[in-house]
Amino acid sequence: MPVQDVLNAATLGSIYLLFTLGMALVWGTIGILNFAHGATFMFSAFIAHVVTKQVELPFLPVVAIAVVVGAVMSTLTQLLAFQPILKRSKNQHAAEMRILIGGIGVAAIPLALAQRYTRSSPFGFQSTYDAQVYEFLGLRITTTAVIIIVTGLTIGVALTIWLRRSRQGLALRAIGVDAETSAGMGVNRPALALGTMAVAGGLAGLAGALLTFQLGAIAPETGDILLIKAFAIVVLGGLGSMLGTVLGAYILAAAETFVVVMNWGTWVNAVSFGLIFLILLVRPQGLLGRKEVRRT
Amino acid sequence: MSDWYAMNVVLVQTTLTTLLLALSIQVPLRFGVFSFAGVGAFGIGGYTAAMAMVHGEWTTWPAVLLGMVVAGVCTFALGLVVQRLSGLYMGMATIAFTLIVSVLAVNGGDWTGGPMGLYGAIGEITTTHIVIAVLVVVAALAWTELGGLGRKVDTVREDPELANALGINVNGYRRLSFLVSGLIGGLAGAITTLLRSTITPAEVNFHLVILALTAIVVGGARSWVGALIGAIIFVWLPTFLSFVQEWEKVAYGFIVAAAAIYLPNGVLGVAKDLWHKVRTREERAQVAAALTKES
Repeated sequence: MPVQDVLNAATLGSIYLLFTLGMALVWGTIGILNFAHGATFMFSAFIAHVVTKQVELPFLPVVAIAVVVGAVMSTLTQLLAFQPILKRSKNQHAAEMRILIGGIGVAAIPLALAQRYTRSSPFGFQSTYDAQVYEFLGLRITTTAVIIIVTGLTIGVALTIWLRRSRQGLALRAIGVDAETSAGMGVNRPALALGTMAVAGGLAGLAGALLTFQLGAIAPETGDILLIKAFAIVVLGGLGSMLGTVLGAYILAAAETFVVVMNWGTWVNAVSFGLIFLILLVRPQGLLGRKEVRRT
Repeated sequence: MSDWYAMNVVLVQTTLTTLLLALSIQVPLRFGVFSFAGVGAFGIGGYTAAMAMVHGEWTTWPAVLLGMVVAGVCTFALGLVVQRLSGLYMGMATIAFTLIVSVLAVNGGDWTGGPMGLYGAIGEITTTHIVIAVLVVVAALAWTELGGLGRKVDTVREDPELANALGINVNGYRRLSFLVSGLIGGLAGAITTLLRSTITPAEVNFHLVILALTAIVVGGARSWVGALIGAIIFVWLPTFLSFVQEWEKVAYGFIVAAAAIYLPNGVLGVAKDLWHKVRTREERAQVAAALTKES
């Protein structure tokens, strides 16, 4: 059923998009590749899981909890890890590496906590929300999938427009082009960085809650693999281009769905890993990226 | 001593193989190449050696050598392909390479044993053998840290443009770092696999990258001594801190994050700084004493 597959790809792509948007926003503007993004995603859903174990909640409060937890975690990561590293680093190259390593360290903490609590088994929500299944013309789609697709596309498009049109968007893009000059022009980098990280964390939390609703349960390790896929998407779309990220997410989802439909399921993960290679070699700036990949 | 050794033989062996794995990532880092391909080489070396023993019925050492060479060649070829990338892009491309190795292993059918892994590669490797292998590798690496060669390597890392201007073949050194990283990673993989007699695709994953990286970050990324310190810390810490064993992974997360923030040069860097301080203080004291005598 090809149309059904397109629908599934659209749902998967929207989850990828929600996850990747935050990461792409932070990386493309303030230049931080946040390796704790996957852990933020997982831990927001995990906290929502712990809360719903005590009280059964409807759909929106669960999502709200995840978004808030994600935003708080991301802000704390920026305040406690990335800002001190940036302050102590001599140059951009050294800072990049230390931020990557620091992010890996930060990511290990929530992952270990969640694994300990759940004994590494998948967790879900206890919610009064009950997904309806709609069927028309032989197509099956759940309310959750509809919500995911609509939310993903809306936020993707809104973020693209905001970054292009608003003053803060201009300031953020200026940091992405040249941090020092933009600071000289009066851009408050630390404050904007904190805000951007908070938004990114919120998006990670949203993606976590929605994916858990969609699948019923997610494993603590889900964030790790999504992180590599998100990297593939950013590289594919082009760093700094939100529209590229939107395209990249759906292209990756379509390619993966195709691989699954063709019954090559065990090769699914090779799609994103291979894509990273292919793009970096053939078109390092990505589909829509303008910035050249720095070379030495 | 012999009692202690008999009790801890597995830990000693793990320390040595972890050291080799950490070194395979440290070598490119010392050349300023942010490559994690050593972990992929670990998988290639391990699988090649295991396949040679299980399917080809080779003996232990030819199998280890084959694993090492195949891993070295693959990683060198990867280096040719990705050498123009820099920084994070290089890092992620090599992580992708590592993860592709594990996907290939899952899909290798009878050759690699699929998702269950390959069993029954029982090698005849003793601790003495590993010690000799490690000593050879460490001696070779220590040599690259000394004198003119050491300064050349430092220049290639710290200022590639300056190195180019000085007539150092930066790209040649970087390609070489891939080859060395592949050989050491392959050796580590082959030895580890034949010691345990099994290898599974799940072993060649992201966490192996993290383990190797954290060992050198905490120990110190500039010298093989740092990798040794890191390997010892990460293998032995759980046995001493049994009370934190429950929270082991959480503690590691904190240690790595703290090291990235406060100790960019690792434990070794701190030790060197302290040593430097002590020595300058002594020298000053001597100079001051000499001056007071004269007057």
